[in-house]
Amino acid sequence: MLTKRLVLAAACILTTFAALPAAQAADPTYTVGAGGTYRPFEFETPQKELVGFDIDIIKAIGKAGGFNTKLVSTPWEGIFATLDQGDRDIIISGITITDKRREMVDFSAPYFPADQVIITSPGAKVAGLADLKKLQVGVVNSSTGDIAVSEELGKASTAIRRFDNTPLMLEELYRGGVDAAVGDVGVIKFYIKSHPEKPFKLVYDNKFKRQYFGIAVKKGNKVALDKINTGLKKIVADGTYAKTYKQWFDADVPTLPQQ
Amino acid sequence: MGGFQWNIISEYMPLFVEGTLMTLKCTVICVIAGTLLGLVLGVGRLAEARHGFYKYFLRYAVQFPVRFYVSFFRGTPLFVQILLIHFALMPLLINPSGGLIVSGDFAREIRSQYGAFMSAVLAISLNAGAYVSEIFRAGIQSIDRGQAEAARSLGMTYMQTLRKVVLPQAFRRMLPPLGNNAIAIVKDSSLASAIGLAELAYAARTVSGAYARYWEPYLTISLIYWVITLVLSAFVQHLETRYGKGDRRQ
Repeated sequence: MLTKRLVLAAACILTTFAALPAAQAADPTYTVGAGGTYRPFEFETPQKELVGFDIDIIKAIGKAGGFNTKLVSTPWEGIFATLDQGDRDIIISGITITDKRREMVDFSAPYFPADQVIITSPGAKVAGLADLKKLQVGVVNSSTGDIAVSEELGKASTAIRRFDNTPLMLEELYRGGVDAAVGDVGVIKFYIKSHPEKPFKLVYDNKFKRQYFGIAVKKGNKVALDKINTGLKKIVADGTYAKTYKQWFDADVPTLPQQ
Repeated sequence: MGGFQWNIISEYMPLFVEGTLMTLKCTVICVIAGTLLGLVLGVGRLAEARHGFYKYFLRYAVQFPVRFYVSFFRGTPLFVQILLIHFALMPLLINPSGGLIVSGDFAREIRSQYGAFMSAVLAISLNAGAYVSEIFRAGIQSIDRGQAEAARSLGMTYMQTLRKVVLPQAFRRMLPPLGNNAIAIVKDSSLASAIGLAELAYAARTVSGAYARYWEPYLTISLIYWVITLVLSAFVQHLETRYGKGDRRQ
């Protein structure tokens, strides 16, 4: 028994030393967490493979910034805690950069403008954000839409109905469970395109503050953050970003602000 | 973790208060509905006759459907049942575009005001009914056959025997498992946050999502759930001493 353990321990130590020089020479591998229900940003194929805009972006950033990515599907609930616990090194999951979240994690430079849109049934009389005051409004929990609606209706308002993901929220809207919903234009349009049988009306309001998605790392993880920002800059400059953007959202490629 | 940040909880206080009330409301309705349903199902499960038409009627039209029902609701997760009822069954019944029971604008009104609540209460009650029916069955079966036989030979009908002789005795034995079930319902109601019902777990999810902090909101609701279940078990204890008196020898 004891000899067996000793042999095992020796083997472990040996492999660690053997692996060390190789790991130092090559790029580090970061475990990247992303949700699996945010089409087209990140979603899972039937083969449990993560795909989407965010996934393509982080892979490209890794290639340009000098790190390998190991993608792990991570539920939105508790996703930030995985950084502190060391389960994930990087999170890319359509995360809106907010001041509150800046206290918990460090964000990369913005990589996506999260424009918001109101969705209602075709007959509803909603012209803008102000009309939502007396309605039951669906949002995705702690999304940009949630933040915008919370400002309008009060963050502890029970007229706000928070859902886990966009499909759930839009199903509820389609069934009449909520009067309106607010979400990311990109995600909503993608959903509408793939569900032509469900009639929705989109209402735009320029009162929505423009917010951006950022890539999160554990507070103080400057090594990873620098690699991400370098990579992001490179893929914007060489056109990879624009190509990826057009591939997922057939719209004009936005110019990203520098932090 | 950086200590316990009270301001996070106080900022969302209305959500926690509303959430507690919603959880309590949900629990009370589900416990009552579940117990009544369980009584009906439990009696139905045991319904049998010796001879003739009723023998077959009770077996195939009462016993079998009840068995099937209990098996389904005990054999699938409550979480799945809640989603199934909210997104599949309820839209069939109440739907602005052609619901079987209610449709049109009134359906929209009902769904947006009470949709999640109705689905949650329905799902949890139906689920609790299945479990409670087994409690009733075990309770009734635990009463000596002689009791029922004696009552019947005194000229009581089947229902009279059940109501006046068997159930009162069985109820005493059923109190502890019924209390357990009620406590389970308190906790099960947290699953309804998935369909957007603003109960306690929903409040914690909202806060943890907004602040990316998990310690404060989840510890807070744990305490509230705990207090609710403590009060509930004290109430069951009280009932047990009250209805248990006849059994005790001084």
